[in-house]
Amino acid sequence: MKRIIAIMMSALMAASVFTACGSSKTAESEAKSGAPSTAAPAGKKVTLDVVTSYGGDDGNRKAYETAFKSWEQKTGNTIKDSSGTGNEDWKVKVMNSFEVGSEPDVLFFFNGADSNKLVKNNKVVSIDEIRKQYPDYAKNMREDMLGASPVDGKNYSVPVNGYWESMFVNTKVLKDCGITVPVVGYTYDQFLKDCETIKNKGYTPIAASLAEVPNYWFEFLAYNYMSAKDFNTMPQAVGDASGKAWINGLKDMKTLFEKGYFPKNTNSTTDADTNNLMSQNKAAFMIDGSWKVGWFEENMKEDMDGDGKPDIENIDVAFPPVKGSTRLSTDYIGGISMGYFITTKAWNDPDKRDACVDFISHMTEDSVVSTFCSAGSISALKNGVTAPSTASPLVKKVNEMNKKVTGISAAVEDLMDNKSVRTPFFADVKNMVTGQLDITKAVGDVIAAQNAFVAQTSSKAS
Amino acid sequence: MNAMIYRKKGALFLFLIPSLLFMTVFLYYPFVMNVINSFLHITALGDKALGVNQPWYENYVKLFQDPLMGVSMRNTFIMILLTIVFQVGIALVLALLVDNIRAGTQFFRTAFFFPIVISATALGLMFNLVFMYDGGMINQLLQSLHLQAANSPVDWKDTAHALTTMFIPVCWQYVGFYFVILATGLNNISPELYEAAEIDGATKMQRVWRITLPLLRNTLCTCLVLAITGALKVFDLPWVMFPSGMPMDTTWMTGTYMYQQAWKLGDVDYSSTIAIAIVVLGVILSQATSRIFKEKEY
Repeated sequence: MKRIIAIMMSALMAASVFTACGSSKTAESEAKSGAPSTAAPAGKKVTLDVVTSYGGDDGNRKAYETAFKSWEQKTGNTIKDSSGTGNEDWKVKVMNSFEVGSEPDVLFFFNGADSNKLVKNNKVVSIDEIRKQYPDYAKNMREDMLGASPVDGKNYSVPVNGYWESMFVNTKVLKDCGITVPVVGYTYDQFLKDCETIKNKGYTPIAASLAEVPNYWFEFLAYNYMSAKDFNTMPQAVGDASGKAWINGLKDMKTLFEKGYFPKNTNSTTDADTNNLMSQNKAAFMIDGSWKVGWFEENMKEDMDGDGKPDIENIDVAFPPVKGSTRLSTDYIGGISMGYFITTKAWNDPDKRDACVDFISHMTEDSVVSTFCSAGSISALKNGVTAPSTASPLVKKVNEMNKKVTGISAAVEDLMDNKSVRTPFFADVKNMVTGQLDITKAVGDVIAAQNAFVAQTSSKAS
Repeated sequence: MNAMIYRKKGALFLFLIPSLLFMTVFLYYPFVMNVINSFLHITALGDKALGVNQPWYENYVKLFQDPLMGVSMRNTFIMILLTIVFQVGIALVLALLVDNIRAGTQFFRTAFFFPIVISATALGLMFNLVFMYDGGMINQLLQSLHLQAANSPVDWKDTAHALTTMFIPVCWQYVGFYFVILATGLNNISPELYEAAEIDGATKMQRVWRITLPLLRNTLCTCLVLAITGALKVFDLPWVMFPSGMPMDTTWMTGTYMYQQAWKLGDVDYSSTIAIAIVVLGVILSQATSRIFKEKEY
């Protein structure tokens, strides 16, 4: 009996081997028969580990998927996509992956202070180095907009699209409160009056989680005390111009909190929940970035409020309220802060080097970049972006806003070290607005922490 | 052949070596390194130490002075108490009830055990929806019963409610685990003892008190040690529901605070110190539990 079973098992195994051979033969013959453009060129096929911020609910997720899948089809290579949502947690995860030696081959990441450590520790390859072997690499981009590293002034990443931060407005809520949509010159005093009206009407004036994402409001409230030219400076003392602007901005935030303009649960809720306040027509104002346009398009495409038109039409964009006259009403925060890096690990792998260069060249060619800029964001392309033929109503409003911009400053939060300075600073905003932490002391602490970080990293580098 | 194996013990040691090596590489070596790291200055995982802390015991002083570490310890001790009372307590009551019914025993066993097979992350997301401020299940229920005004929902995650909101799902999650252990312990008690007691006129309560609980003592002791050490390590569900100690740094547990220090703030040496504190506390508490509820031979 045992022998019979053994013979049967052997026969089955042999059959499975032949079946496998049959499959590969079929595949081979298909390839020989001349598959169309999808046929991969000769050479060793590789799998690239790619990490980007085009994960989760990112507005460009679809554009990213379409772009990398077309590259997969064109080359026969494979992308192992591990993208996430580009928040603080994601930044930490990316940096940790380098620390434990599990970094990706290609990384779409911030090119400012966030990537200082990658540059200092030679974890990424400079564009100059890449061009020694691939002279045409990133030649379609403006050199001055590539986003040089603060460490050595060299370019390491190839950008796709830039970002802007401004104020989203729910026009349905404003209309119900008898308030007109903010226009150029919208003052802070008028904003306070409008917030009071909105609050009294039972709506939430400002959709923001101070527990999770206080940074956008901090940026603009501090920006109100500086100009587009000098805002992007780390304070060196609580008494200098930047230090004073930060303190005054945080004091304004405390006032907004005390007046009850943030959600009642702003210190215990998440960013995702406060976003829903806007999409469900329960809040009036939200400061966020260009990446949020796609979120609104995705989450407000239906007519949920029953007014006969898609809810996305309730969302408009406006410049945040301006206090005083230092910042112009039409100045906002923006820039090109991210780009594709090739990691040293992948560059040193002869099997992957070509593929990495080819992948990034594909992802940053003019036609692909244009699809990423469909939400009105800026690019570094020498030839400029080709405008999309069918833009959503919100994108059209964004384009109108962008036409009026007079000054752009990069976000000041990107100057701070993420782990030792920025994360604890923003985590303390809840303590500042509730009066548990003195604002001047908090700003003094953040200056000291940043100086300690700079001293520590410079001594480490030397 | 069998006799040879029993006579020569060397072969048995040979089979134990792989496990010992595994434990050495993945447990004892990291633990020793963790102790060393707690005296060094390390700003990121995988980075070289920048030197020895000044003074070398700096992190241990900080451990006792850090107010958030105090919050973590307090919450963890509350968690331990609640675990004993609610996780093991409710599991015991449920096991006794299920043991006394004839039909549906298997159904209840499966039903109570079910939360264990769901990942803590999924449970966290589910309870986030249950306790949500705006349109959450509990607030909707209260509003539909006219126990709450529609425009003034309760924030179940504010400082007044956060700890309760966090502890309920954590306790609920593991009731089924201890229920299964205790139900198995109950199955091992001979039915003849109950029959004899019944003939002697013992009431149901007396049977539970005089027979079941004494004979279940060893199983209960195991459950308590598991519950206490488990409470010290709890991480995933609190982190999903209350990330970063939200709200207002009131919900830190030792596990979540250690994670925050290591992964989000890059203070690797301090997080190593917290890890040692967790281990020391775990050893002390499990030893104390074992001594208090000393196992008995029957």
